[in-house]
Amino acid sequence: MRQAGAYSGLLCGGVSGRTGPHSLPLARIKKIMKNSGEGVKMISGEAPIIFSKACDLFIEELTRRSWIMAIQGKRRTLHKEDLASAVIATDIFDFLITLVSNSDSHAVGGATNVMEVETIDYS
Amino acid sequence: METGGFHGYRKLPNTTAGLKLSVSDMNMRQQVASSDHSAATGEENECTVREQDRFMPIANVIRIMRKILPPHAKISDDAKETIQECVSEYISFITGEANERCQREQRKTITAEDVLWAMSKLGFDDYIEPLTMYLHRYRELEGDRTSMRGEPLGKRTVEYATLGVATAFVPPPYHHHNGYFGAAMPMGTYVREAPPNTASSHHHHHHHHHHARGISNAHEPNARSI
Repeated sequence: MRQAGAYSGLLCGGVSGRTGPHSLPLARIKKIMKNSGEGVKMISGEAPIIFSKACDLFIEELTRRSWIMAIQGKRRTLHKEDLASAVIATDIFDFLITLVSNSDSHAVGGATNVMEVETIDYS
Repeated sequence: METGGFHGYRKLPNTTAGLKLSVSDMNMRQQVASSDHSAATGEENECTVREQDRFMPIANVIRIMRKILPPHAKISDDAKETIQECVSEYISFITGEANERCQREQRKTITAEDVLWAMSKLGFDDYIEPLTMYLHRYRELEGDRTSMRGEPLGKRTVEYATLGVATAFVPPPYHHHNGYFGAAMPMGTYVREAPPNTASSHHHHHHHHHHARGISNAHEPNARSI
């Protein structure tokens, strides 16, 4: 009788029987890594796997902080301004400031007085 | 960046000699010519990165966001696009730092440890512990997987027998049984029990003994191999 493989998603908690254990595609992660700089030559097989989980944590944290901003604005819809506010309020997201302020300079300017969101423990 | 490749889009040359062009080809050529004038400067072979290759799939990103957001929450389109861009920027940001470390140490391959080190350096200390646990768990599973693949056949069959797979009873070669006179029988074959009126089963039925684990199908009248 055939049994589920270790990475079929059935044993590793995939979202459905069709998806694997990784919520983000490893090939796409590898492409983005390759395109990140001219000096990137080779990437080990484990690096995209780590990034898959790291991006999971990153999206969760950014979403959580952005939702707090939306709640403060008494809204139930997440907007780009909420993401911009969350980015500005969090030190480790400083590298995203230019990205979120491209088209929303007014939103970024008005978000400087946002209170600091509490740190999130992932352990 | 990799040039060409199966998924790569190449800029078309300006010369049209000896080519039969369709309407779509002509339109595409006009777009390329109007968008940038670098085709004449010898950059025809550069591969332009496709839009969908620059970002994570939107469905996957939204699925992760939905885990955090309450059921009544909505996400605007501009927020979806922005968070897609943020994820790509995050990967590039960490990869750049990890790559710098590799270059300093004169290594060509970015490893998982380089990625973790870069995250720690760039302030994502909260991610290190769960990611390290995740990496250990992955390596354990990978180790189990490779050890299973490299096992000898005998060990595997023993383990399958303990899983409850019925193993066929093969009689010893010195007993003739239903016309098999000491012939080597293929593994996994079942021997049909002879009718009670035949002499062979009358003499040799006491030699049949079941294995301790699992019930053998050897005595079923229509037994077949799996």
